[in-house]
Amino acid sequence: MELAYYPGCSLEGTANDYGRSVVEAFGLLGIKLREIPDWTCCGSTAAHSLSEAMTILLPSKNISIAEEMGLDLLAPCPMCYNRLVYSLDRIKRGLEDSPWPLTGQVSIYDPTRFLSQQEFLRRIREGVKRPLKDLRVVCYYGCQMVRPPKLTGFKEFQNPTTMDKILEALGATVLDWSYKTICCGASIKMGRKEIGLSLSFKLLMKAVEFGADAIVVSCPLCQFNLDSAQFETGKNLLPVFYFTELMILALADSAVSINFKSHLVDPSPLLIEKRLYNL
Amino acid sequence: MEAGQLLEITEQGNRFLSQIEGETGINLGACYQCERCTNSCPVAEFMDIKPHQVIRFVQLGQRSRLLGSRTIWVCLSCEMCSAHCPNEVGVAEVIIHLRNLAARSPYPAHEKELEIFYRKFMGELTRFGRINEIWLMTSMNMSPGILIKKVKDGSFLPELKLGLELVKRGRLHFWPKKSKAAKELRRLQEKLKGR
Ligand code: SF4
Ligand code: SF4
Repeated sequence: MELAYYPGCSLEGTANDYGRSVVEAFGLLGIKLREIPDWTCCGSTAAHSLSEAMTILLPSKNISIAEEMGLDLLAPCPMCYNRLVYSLDRIKRGLEDSPWPLTGQVSIYDPTRFLSQQEFLRRIREGVKRPLKDLRVVCYYGCQMVRPPKLTGFKEFQNPTTMDKILEALGATVLDWSYKTICCGASIKMGRKEIGLSLSFKLLMKAVEFGADAIVVSCPLCQFNLDSAQFETGKNLLPVFYFTELMILALADSAVSINFKSHLVDPSPLLIEKRLYNL
Repeated sequence: MEAGQLLEITEQGNRFLSQIEGETGINLGACYQCERCTNSCPVAEFMDIKPHQVIRFVQLGQRSRLLGSRTIWVCLSCEMCSAHCPNEVGVAEVIIHLRNLAARSPYPAHEKELEIFYRKFMGELTRFGRINEIWLMTSMNMSPGILIKKVKDGSFLPELKLGLELVKRGRLHFWPKKSKAAKELRRLQEKLKGR
């Protein structure tokens, strides 16, 4: 099975570790990701803030190429995902005209909903080589993948469970908590650092309070905010994993292919303690 | 705004309200000021006009106060407010639309640094077709006043320290990756004339 893959700028830059782990994790389940040739930036918050027409039209370039490839589209970065579905929705409703050919016949997926379909959960469960038992995690979904529900189609937008299901299938102990979709601060740190830090720390403290060993995310910006807030303040509370990293850890023949050097808060002591990782 | 302060309907009244309703497709009349939006907002405490007040201010035609507000720049577009509104008032959508209007108005942005960041972001986007974080931050820091401000308030060294750590950990690359389609984006931007 193949999907068109839209990495977006983060997965090529600060979150290249996420990008690599997405490709590998999907590969382990027999899904090949084909990168969209010459993809361009989705516009992110900047286009959304300054140019409403660009924010609709920028993503359409990439959707158009995916359609040409004849494949459904996977966007692992929630911001990109949100911009892509927003663009497609507005163009379908005739609010702007895409300069690139677009039929609107393509499905756009976030990776957590794609992999939490019954068929893939079964494959995950059957493929687990190193169950993540004793690893107590909270899944953190953030905003853009989930809201607005009318656009994302997330039915349980108050309490999403797509990542919870995947982590359970990997054998982890998934804790319930009420901060799954509270904002981490997004890009506000670019101008108001103290607001960003306070939002990130609220989540980190709550995760600790709920008894988690680690936070699991599917968003490069959430990972960066939660990870770097700890680095910047010198308060190391708990590591922040991409769910795809934990998939590789549990599913790959040898866990050696994955390294956690890119993390600011080093997860290896925790994983060694849980006997999930040996260096 | 002070509690209990009375606001008048400005001459802009209906005109501004119909402009915003027309441009966003949102029915602001559905709002009954229940404040659920504000209560669900993670940054309401940092706003000068709270989310529910934004809706009321639009109804009253308080255009200049809104476009000059801190609120429209501090909002995270996290969509909590819209998701919690019992009347499907797209509060987040109204706020981001006001930010777009403000960016095209003579009102100075209340959060100057954020506005500069977005502008530099668009510049890098249309230059390479993709964003390289080092180039973006450099272009941001080279904007008039930014570096000096960061040095003075002590935020530059921590930023540099974090940047170097990210380089060391393989998360930042000096050389930008480019998309061949960047030219098409520049052409699109020209055609849209700032829309
Ligand atoms: S939640 Fe909706 S109805 Fe209530 S104050 Fe906010 S916009 Fe108005
Ligand atoms: S979208 Fe903006 S106003 Fe609405 S809850 Fe989020 S930060 Fe607050």
